[in-house]
Amino acid sequence: MNLVAPDVNYYSMLPFITVLLTAVFATILPFYVSRKAIAGLSAVGLLVALAASIGLWNTNLSSFYGAYRADNFALGFGIVLIVGALITVISSVDVAKRGGTMQAEFFAILLYAVSGTMLLASAHDLIVLLIGFEVMSLGVYVLSSFKETANSEEAGLKYFLLGSFASAILIFGIALVFGATGKFGLEAINTSVLSPEFKNSSIAAVGALFIMIGFGFKVAMAPFHQWTPDVYTGAPTVVTQFMSVAVKAAAFAGFLHIFGLALQNVSGWQTPLQFLIALTLMIGNLAALRQSNLKRMLAYSSVAHAGYVGLAVLASPSQGFSSALYYLGVYTLMNAGAFAVLNVLSKDDDGLEIESLAGLGSSKPLLAATLTFFLLSLAGIPPLGGFIGKYLIFSAAASSGYYGLVILAALTSAVSLAYYLRPIGLMYFRPRVTVLPDFSGRSTRVLLVVCAVGVLILGLVPNAVYGLLELVKK
Amino acid sequence: MIHLIIFIPLLFALVGLFLRGQARASISIFAALSSFALTAVVWMFKIDTAYRTSWIPGTGVFYSVTFDGPSLLLALVATLMTSITLIYFSFRKDSHQSEGMYLLALAMLTGLLGIFAARDLILFYVFFEATLIPSLFMLGLYGRKNRVRALTKMALYTIFGGLLMLVSIIATKLYTNSPSFDFLELFGRTSQLDLETQTWLFLGFVAAFAVKLPLFPLHNWLPDFHAENHPSGVADVMGTLYKVGGYGLFRFALPLFPAAAQNLQWVFMFLAAFTALYGAWIAFSSKDFKRLLAYAGLSHMGLVALGMFSLNPIGMAGALFLLAFQGVYSSALFLIVGMLEERLNKDSHNEKTTSQALEIGHVRGLAASAPAFAGVALVLWFASIGVPGLAGFIGEFSIFLGAYQANPWATALAVSTVIASAAFALTAYQRTWLEEATTTIPELNARDWFVLAPILAVTVFFGVFSGSALKLLEPSVQAVAGLLGGK
Repeated sequence: MNLVAPDVNYYSMLPFITVLLTAVFATILPFYVSRKAIAGLSAVGLLVALAASIGLWNTNLSSFYGAYRADNFALGFGIVLIVGALITVISSVDVAKRGGTMQAEFFAILLYAVSGTMLLASAHDLIVLLIGFEVMSLGVYVLSSFKETANSEEAGLKYFLLGSFASAILIFGIALVFGATGKFGLEAINTSVLSPEFKNSSIAAVGALFIMIGFGFKVAMAPFHQWTPDVYTGAPTVVTQFMSVAVKAAAFAGFLHIFGLALQNVSGWQTPLQFLIALTLMIGNLAALRQSNLKRMLAYSSVAHAGYVGLAVLASPSQGFSSALYYLGVYTLMNAGAFAVLNVLSKDDDGLEIESLAGLGSSKPLLAATLTFFLLSLAGIPPLGGFIGKYLIFSAAASSGYYGLVILAALTSAVSLAYYLRPIGLMYFRPRVTVLPDFSGRSTRVLLVVCAVGVLILGLVPNAVYGLLELVKK
Repeated sequence: MIHLIIFIPLLFALVGLFLRGQARASISIFAALSSFALTAVVWMFKIDTAYRTSWIPGTGVFYSVTFDGPSLLLALVATLMTSITLIYFSFRKDSHQSEGMYLLALAMLTGLLGIFAARDLILFYVFFEATLIPSLFMLGLYGRKNRVRALTKMALYTIFGGLLMLVSIIATKLYTNSPSFDFLELFGRTSQLDLETQTWLFLGFVAAFAVKLPLFPLHNWLPDFHAENHPSGVADVMGTLYKVGGYGLFRFALPLFPAAAQNLQWVFMFLAAFTALYGAWIAFSSKDFKRLLAYAGLSHMGLVALGMFSLNPIGMAGALFLLAFQGVYSSALFLIVGMLEERLNKDSHNEKTTSQALEIGHVRGLAASAPAFAGVALVLWFASIGVPGLAGFIGEFSIFLGAYQANPWATALAVSTVIASAAFALTAYQRTWLEEATTTIPELNARDWFVLAPILAVTVFFGVFSGSALKLLEPSVQAVAGLLGGK
């Protein structure tokens, strides 16, 4: 019998393994050390993984016969995911101050979820991709019901039930695509679709639609977004922060990979996706207009942003991949930043009324100034990073000919201005009415400044980063 | 050099964040003045300021800037007026209560200079929209009671127009297969597009510029913007300088899409003429000085648009000339109102007394106690309504001359504006300064003269010797008009 050693390249998986090992330690060590030490350990582990990702840049290593690849796409998304997780870890330290201690298991589960997101971004095989997707989802289901409050438990259960349903649809889609092509590898599927003998195009198209619904659920695209406001509002704020950036970014990485590499030559999903995006843009932005709670407003705004990034899935991979990555990178900084401010200002996990921000500009200048940065960037106002991200996405979609959608996206982002500017107006232009608590520690304040500076740098000198992202193109 | 001119104000604004009181005022004035001085050096020694480097590689976005004729003239006006305005503001008694004004004005100045310098369309858009942020903050932080409504209105109008322009910009590059967004590369390729495509792209640009001009029916944000801003007039001056719609039309929209512009010429000429008349008409019935000046400005902008859409060299040169110099004398009128308000208003935090101080006809016969003040105000009003010998006349006259060749009927409509503006300006003037005195105010002091003298000098000098300014405009105007087939 001839044994062949499997193709395993541990170097290629260094960031992933680092996160996983940290998660294992974070599971065991709480019996012996303090909760704060676990937070520190998690942060260090994430930083090491970050360094490893940067070190692997341009090496294009792969493992498992190409099913796992540490190419620049995966590493770029990996960096975004790690940064998102780091922001969450730092924000979670403040939660202790308002009494609701985060048990140490929080960090372990968070890190397991992060490892899932990283696997999802690196997968070039539908099965590996699905494993990453499920590991991530399981972690986040637990995290969203982490607080023993009715809201949090409701959020967790709702997310779990609807999420499992979406997973089932996704798996069904994967099965159909496999049935049509006989392959799991992303590139192999495309080769099979392009081959002259390919006859199952209708089965592949149905499979593509099912996969689209599965991912549409995870990235919160209308009409599969209905869980988002409830889950985002009910879950602990730091978990919402993590879900709104890292889970969304990882799901988009998989979304882009499947539709950009495997199914781009399958027809039949492009038109439905256009409808989904149009609907997402309108529902997300219009519903956000009517929210009075900041947390809920940010939840709807994240639905709207799923619509913008969705445009990149429609665009050709050569432009779509890098622009989506840039957008999600900026989005991670600005959205996680906004949630971090929300987190330190609210007395519990129910968020806070937007009206209560009045007068924050003079009472908490740093928090108000950084929140202003994040909101302006979310609105896409130049010269902040959000604008460059939007510009890249719009131009990627327009060069693939989707002018109508781009115009709709431009108009809806003008609408979005109304709800992003309102908190800013309240903070600076109204006298203070309610006294908000301030749980920000020094680490959070440093974090906020770093995020704000990052958003500014990504807006002012995009060439520094986008030059690197050019390498993401296939 | 050009980077210094553009970014000195912003850099000093950042430094100014850490200073208070007199130090902040001095450093801000210094920054604006040095930006003005450097711009003047560029003008006098004809320095070539063109600079170009990649900004977002791979997508053809360049950091491409230069100060040529029209940009240089507008940059000179913007830097000069910002300097004067900041000096004026530092003399005001209430300036210590709103010190952020200095920094916001400087940030706006950087944005304005960027708008005038940018040659890359995306870069232009970035400056165009970024300038909005300090403008909104000025209104929001230091404005009056209904400022939030005014602010929302302005933001929504501007951003809607701006985003349509952004889509147009991106589409222009894609349709023409241009390697970059640089104006020089787009230009020439766009003329090969068919008329329908050109028209849609053109309308995208016009959406942004018609809001910014503003042009009827997109002008609704303007009166509120002026009426709700700080009574000192600093924000109004910066807002007046921020009316860059006419410049944008001239620089980008018209040369890029000449066929579309010619095709729609008559529509926009009538719209412009109507805006001019409508502004003057509403100004006549305004009860508040700020609103009066806002509508007077609207009327001017109608004339600017009329000159632009005449598509011939005389009309366009007149439009640019009017655009530049209304930035001097219209701004100065806002400062005059500010000075008047300071003299009449006992409590600037009291909404009622502030409104009374700004109400036309609330006090009368001020010329009796302050004859020199009345004289200066009269000269500036005359400049504003286009009396010969002052800078306003050259612009308006050239516009009418150019527009008449293109569309006599629209021009006839617009010429009646001259009568209407004389009517509203003189009525308002008479009610405030003449008639029987109801109160007395202090005469202009040395500080006021220090502020107003340069403005008067510019207004009179360029009314008589307009040549040096027109010479700056001529090459670009001829080039653009040549494209548009103007005579």
